[in-house]
Amino acid sequence: MMNFKRKRNFLTCLAMLLILVATPMAGAYDIPGITGTSPNPAFNLITGTGTITTGDGNSVYMWLYGVEGGVPQYPGPTIIVNQGDTVTINLKNTLPVPTSLVVDGIAVSAAAAVPGTDLPGLLTREVAADNGSSTVAYTFTASQPGTFLYHSGTNPPLQVEMGLLGVIIVRPTGYNAVTNRIAYGHVDSAYVHEKLLLLTDMDARVHDKAKAGNFTNIDFTDYHDVYWFINGRTLPDTLSTTGAPWLKNQPYDAFVMMNPGQTILYRMVNASRDPHPMHTHGNHHLIIGRQGRFLSTGAGADLSNNAFTTVVYPGDTVDAIMTWRPVAVGWDVVGHGDDVDNPPLGDFPGPGDIDNNNNGILDSCAAQPAEPWEDPADHCKLFPVRLPSLQDLTFGQFWGGSPFLGALGALPPGEGGFNPWGGFFFMQHSHNEKELTNNNIFPGGMATFLVVIAPSTMIVE
Amino acid sequence: MTIKLKKERSDTMKKKRIITQTILLVLVAFGFFPVWAHVSFQCPCLDDPTASNVEKANGNIECNVGARNIACKHITAGDGFALMADRTAAAPNEMFIFGFHDVTYLYPPNGVYATKAEADAAVMGDGLLGAETSSPTLNMREAQEFYLTLTTAPMPIRPDLFDPHTVHFHGFTNAATVFDGEPMVSVAINQGASLTYYYNLAGRAGTFLYHCHVEATEHMQMGMLGNLIVRALKDTGVAPNRFAYNDTDNSTRFDVDYPVQVISFDPRFHDANQNIQPLPFADMLDTYPLFNGRGYPDTVNPNFLPVPQQKIDERAVRGFPNTPYETHSSQKLPAKITATVGQRLLIRLSSVATVDLYTISASGLPMQIVAKDANIFRGRALPAGLSLYQTVNSVNIGGGESYDLIIDLAGVAAGTYFLYSTNLNELTNDKQEFGGMMTEIVVNPL
Repeated sequence: MMNFKRKRNFLTCLAMLLILVATPMAGAYDIPGITGTSPNPAFNLITGTGTITTGDGNSVYMWLYGVEGGVPQYPGPTIIVNQGDTVTINLKNTLPVPTSLVVDGIAVSAAAAVPGTDLPGLLTREVAADNGSSTVAYTFTASQPGTFLYHSGTNPPLQVEMGLLGVIIVRPTGYNAVTNRIAYGHVDSAYVHEKLLLLTDMDARVHDKAKAGNFTNIDFTDYHDVYWFINGRTLPDTLSTTGAPWLKNQPYDAFVMMNPGQTILYRMVNASRDPHPMHTHGNHHLIIGRQGRFLSTGAGADLSNNAFTTVVYPGDTVDAIMTWRPVAVGWDVVGHGDDVDNPPLGDFPGPGDIDNNNNGILDSCAAQPAEPWEDPADHCKLFPVRLPSLQDLTFGQFWGGSPFLGALGALPPGEGGFNPWGGFFFMQHSHNEKELTNNNIFPGGMATFLVVIAPSTMIVE
Repeated sequence: MTIKLKKERSDTMKKKRIITQTILLVLVAFGFFPVWAHVSFQCPCLDDPTASNVEKANGNIECNVGARNIACKHITAGDGFALMADRTAAAPNEMFIFGFHDVTYLYPPNGVYATKAEADAAVMGDGLLGAETSSPTLNMREAQEFYLTLTTAPMPIRPDLFDPHTVHFHGFTNAATVFDGEPMVSVAINQGASLTYYYNLAGRAGTFLYHCHVEATEHMQMGMLGNLIVRALKDTGVAPNRFAYNDTDNSTRFDVDYPVQVISFDPRFHDANQNIQPLPFADMLDTYPLFNGRGYPDTVNPNFLPVPQQKIDERAVRGFPNTPYETHSSQKLPAKITATVGQRLLIRLSSVATVDLYTISASGLPMQIVAKDANIFRGRALPAGLSLYQTVNSVNIGGGESYDLIIDLAGVAAGTYFLYSTNLNELTNDKQEFGGMMTEIVVNPL
């Protein structure tokens, strides 16, 4: 028992050391993206072709934005600026067609770097298909904090389908990545983690025809989407790490870990043709912003509302905050009452159970302090039902074998395995259930997971 | 005496062991794996000798254990058939479905069987082809602890499917994964066995929904969907003191309430499923828009719909007669709404459609949105958010959403009104016009 406790202390020290030597915000998710220097950040983007991978193993030809000198990506780089910035996006074009850039909800002015080298377009000035030799500068003032969608303003039905889209995040005045993580200029919009959920869909036939140069046969009257993406990836790729090398043109993941009681800000953006009802397992989410506007009359998020499903309409952006803590669950989620060891293994009495005062009797629940994030009313309450025997159950890959947070339990060989932390995995997905497929193969599509892990486990971004 | 008994038993056991081993060998030889499954309804009202006031209420077995108020329910999951509203004698249009079936009525007190053990033994037979859509409404009170036992029945029409099932209590706050029902993160119960879900309903009043989450796209399109209501503490159950939520201004007061669930089916998908064909997920095209699993005019039929003939036949060939007959209706929940002039009518609207969003209107009767997703519709800022209540002529609802809509019938002319989808092409039962997602709101005179 002594050894066990000593090891725990050692591990705690090691974890703290690791946290100290890591970046200041280790353990908190930031949305990856590109930033510039306030008050005049400038970004050099270039369009190019690329190939993305879908969960069913297909490869799809794309037209994409990318950072000049970098890799074209789906979605385009997330551009992160500060409120009040005058933002310039210099765009070059290597696609076989002219292209451009517009931002939903923000007036953008466009001008060629060399006058006369751009093309007049319907929505904005366009960059010619000149293999990247000319530049058009798109400039706007980021007056409003929030989440915005940018995309091609040239033949958008085709070019947005082909992948020319991305997200602009405007940080509010007063935002600080370490000390003041807020979405809007009010404490009601504070969060610990943030994640982008950019929703897109795809009719792969359009891409095949574009790749073959067969543009005359592209027909949007029979548009038929068969893929649904979060951040340019389908399930299960949404769970792979940011910048996973096998997803060269799809750098952004949608996987989040957090501790009980922490908050996550979801920036949901719909760049597809259909509305998507986004359902958060685990808990309700609080909608605090919509389309780059804080839901407030000026006194905090007084127009916010709680929801378990939020429809994100095409072109819509939704900022929603979610948390999870075992409140009034009715049993001790940590398993103090059922199993007095740490982490609980679901085997009380069993090896590893703690005898803190060395009296030869394994400790009762009363000797175990409640976790600070636990509901004190549920501390030591026993697990309320008998689970069936293992033969009677089918196990999920993210099931750790124990109902308790931070605990693992016995599983038949080959079962589970993707949840080494004993975390609580919660699916975050479109409730248009047909969108949980990759080209007619279930499961897949517009889904990802949030994991709540015991605080003893370090959050790995 | 004791020794003799022991010896006898041990001889019997030896014989039994030999028989068991032989059976096992045969099973293994034929590629079967033995399953040690059993049906087990876990319910403190029946299991705990200290339980008091044990009674059947609200479709549950309810009781007190000490200070605890407990509700239990036992449902099965499996396949079956449902009737579509465009059926004729020549074309009965029985649709192959998956769904849940309520077997709580088998249990004491005042059940079909006197003991829990007898009822447990009857569950698999009763649940055979028992699928209902909408599935049984779960109806509880906020103060209760809810024990929901799910038993997975086999699928006689798809014997190749070994699918387990789950219940996803959609919208349960601060859920633990063990009772979430999403099978990738959790456990699902195999055929022939039972899993009991536990939900503490304290602080969780409102209009929710539930569905199976195993292979969700398929199982939900196939019909494993139901209404889920948690009545607020403030609701005494007797008008005029009925409230949808624990409001402070009585603004959620109602006299009568009706669950209305938006469901839609793609008959091609159901046929492909029945005929063991690849499932057309991306091609899903729902042509049977339904309320509570019924298309108009079935929606206004206040009774259970008849038992599908295929269900009767398929049960009969397996030796399960349909008695008591009416419990085997696949569509028990009407969608007809009846109220009286002057009343406040609460519609508990939810959607579990898997493809489309629907816009629902109550012709000529303005509806006030008082709650969305089991949350009273007001801002969450501290100390108090603003009211977001909105009076609307229609509400657009996506899959997995719920709305509490109050229609104030004060000063409204008595008569028949309609609740319907404003996408008028959805007022069809597949190719039959004038049907679909529509029902009546009958307002009786005072």
